Amino acid sequence: MIKIESVTFKHQNGTVALQNVSLEIRTGEATAIVGENGAGKTTLVKHLNGLIKPTEGKVTVFDLDTKQTTVAQLARKVGVVFQNPDHQLFSETVSDEIAFGLRNFGFPESVIKKRLEWALEFFGLTEYRDSSPMMLSGGEKKRLCLAIVLAWDPEVIVLDEPTVGQDLVQKEKLREVIKMLLLRGKTVILVSHDMEFVWSLQPRVIVMAKGRVVADGAAAEVFSRPEVVGEANLMKPQLLELSVHLKNPPQKPFADIYEARQWLVSSVSR
Amino acid sequence: MVGQQCFEVVAGMQWVSSGFIFRHMESPVHSLDPRTRLLFAVELFVLALVADSPLEVSIVSIVVVSLAIVAKIAKRLVRTMSFTAGFAVMILVINMLVGQPLVYSIVLAIRFIAIVGGTSLFFLTTSPDELEYVMKWFRLPQDMVFAFVTAVRFVPVLMLDATQIMDAQKSRGLEMQKGNFIKRIRNFIPVLVPLVVTAVIRSGELAEAMESRAYGAVKKPSSLYALRMRKRDWATGAISVMLLVVSLYYFLVIAPIG
Amino acid sequence: MKPLIQVQNYSFTYMGTSRPAARNVNLEIGEGEIVILAGPSGCGKSTVLKSLNGLIPHLYSGSREGTVIVDGHDVAETQVSEVAKKVGFVFQNPENQIFMFSVERDVAFALENLGFPRDEIRRRVDWALDLMGIQRLARQAPHELSDGQRQRVAIAGVLAMTPKVLILDEPTSLLDPLTARELVLLVKRLHDELGITVLVVEHRLDLLAGIASRIIVMDRGTVAMDGSPREVLARKEALTIGVGVPTVTRLYGLLTDHGLNLGQAPLRMEELAEAVNRLVP
Repeated sequence: MIKIESVTFKHQNGTVALQNVSLEIRTGEATAIVGENGAGKTTLVKHLNGLIKPTEGKVTVFDLDTKQTTVAQLARKVGVVFQNPDHQLFSETVSDEIAFGLRNFGFPESVIKKRLEWALEFFGLTEYRDSSPMMLSGGEKKRLCLAIVLAWDPEVIVLDEPTVGQDLVQKEKLREVIKMLLLRGKTVILVSHDMEFVWSLQPRVIVMAKGRVVADGAAAEVFSRPEVVGEANLMKPQLLELSVHLKNPPQKPFADIYEARQWLVSSVSR
Repeated sequence: MVGQQCFEVVAGMQWVSSGFIFRHMESPVHSLDPRTRLLFAVELFVLALVADSPLEVSIVSIVVVSLAIVAKIAKRLVRTMSFTAGFAVMILVINMLVGQPLVYSIVLAIRFIAIVGGTSLFFLTTSPDELEYVMKWFRLPQDMVFAFVTAVRFVPVLMLDATQIMDAQKSRGLEMQKGNFIKRIRNFIPVLVPLVVTAVIRSGELAEAMESRAYGAVKKPSSLYALRMRKRDWATGAISVMLLVVSLYYFLVIAPIG
Repeated sequence: MKPLIQVQNYSFTYMGTSRPAARNVNLEIGEGEIVILAGPSGCGKSTVLKSLNGLIPHLYSGSREGTVIVDGHDVAETQVSEVAKKVGFVFQNPENQIFMFSVERDVAFALENLGFPRDEIRRRVDWALDLMGIQRLARQAPHELSDGQRQRVAIAGVLAMTPKVLILDEPTSLLDPLTARELVLLVKRLHDELGITVLVVEHRLDLLAGIASRIIVMDRGTVAMDGSPREVLARKEALTIGVGVPTVTRLYGLLTDHGLNLGQAPLRMEELAEAVNRLVP
């Protein structure tokens, strides 16, 4: 459980990146943070594992005040997958890369072995276990970065722009991983520009603009508010757009294309 | 915490280098041709070398500071000079330890401050753009000039990369301050390797983009702007040369007799 | 009329690799087209793009077969700087293609390299800045710009050479949705005003499909599909290959599979809604 209480963050040069943000993120919830570049999304995310401490206000992660806790302690619980894999891959082999985090967190070797095997298998990286991470393709590197974090089994998983440069198949796989995490009771926080991807998860949506939270609620509700969509430079997800234009609209917007098919087929044949 | 320290070192470097980094401003000094300003810097350098009494080197330092005030960069110049003051004290102490007279040591120390001040006066008032034009004016090879431009242009970008890399590795539980000395050195590997990799990737992309923008197409590239000496450049240049001659005459001829 | 770009039986294998990155590619692109080059990661898109402006084989070596001809010139036989005047290449990350300390000097970069006289550089820089709507940013430094503005500077920097073809490599992937949409509209406007031929690589097609005259899909190094957006995106192979088919077109596919007659494939939700509304009793 994460509690953000009236957090303001100012950079050294005085620019305000976050302005009086208060939020609560509950266990097992899927949350998407959206908004234009420079709205403060990444700054907010960095507060969650203590990389940034609030200038004013308080962030509590599982009852730990981030100001009094080290990044390592927090990272064990809140795993952040950053956007650019080249900013973190350094080991000689893919296995070492995954084991790095586990060793840092002091897991016993037997556990490390088990977790490593699981991660390699689950993300289809077993055949590359002894290859250099630098030799992987862009999509594989992204998958490896996800494997690295999930290997230490954090309670909260933060994904920063996970779909950038990913093709349809890779996005589909990512969606499955997120669904699996949610089923296992994990908390997933997604930062993304990809409204279609966000919509497909039907998460709670937090909209940020100019360092403030301007909307917070269920995806269908938030994206239906034109003033929010306008202020934060968003775009309406296509399925929501469809629901609006139908002569025979559904009670709530379609979550996915299969739901849409069912409704449309039945409404046509009625 | 070493991790924190490392970050502070980066921040500190930014702070010190901010004494050298140009900022767009308007002042009588900024509006001069960069070559006139370069002339000032050279003249101050010569004066500082020639001045050989505490009074003389102090006068040169005061000239540097006065010019900085006219250029509205006094605060940042003082910041740079206060940083060099440490070195100046070192020079003073070392010279006294090896048995040089006190007066001579003081002159050396102040001379050092004056030289650094005069040089940074030039860099603080000259944009990288102007610097590039001055380099071209000296007919330095195009590749060398461009290498300089890219280096300056990408310093802040690499700094940002470094911060992001440190953030990413700390998020994987890397504690840079943990362990004995050897371990702490090893803790830098997860930061240094991605930094090098990112820099190599960037340089590859830069090379592609340079090729695609016709870099090296003709031997002598043209330019959007040209340096132009205006009346006031010639006038201030001439006056400064006259002042230099008078000072040299005083420092070298009158003062030694007096 | 001869096509502007002709790729004939073209294959390329990077030095040090065994698998060809492009295999027997055949393409023709006419003047004034807006073409999307799509396909999964590693399908050979960027190899083809780099072969069009001469980075391959001039910067990257490897073994090569077939020919790439742009505006009557064999790219492999022409200097990159010559090709650059015809093919403007905007890379994915604008950060790594803005070299100079001010916007106007950066836009002038290629013109300076080509040795244009000063007044001609001035004229063209002002023209390109004006066209991209960034005249007021002329004196700004690159780090003072937003992502969308940087993207515009990068485009202005190649437009200043007045190329016949504009190549954009994943131009919207780093932008927020609205900035991305503005960029797409801008590309459309450039095409309409200048008659420039546009070739875009993109994963997300929901924005771009609407302005494109054609989509070429590559898979495993070769051209797998080629046709109008409506035709290509509605085909089953587009999904199996891994093309970023817009949600609306995927839904259309599901509905037609179910026997609904919705006419031609839609690219916007309004179109699909209209088609469905017509069927509702």
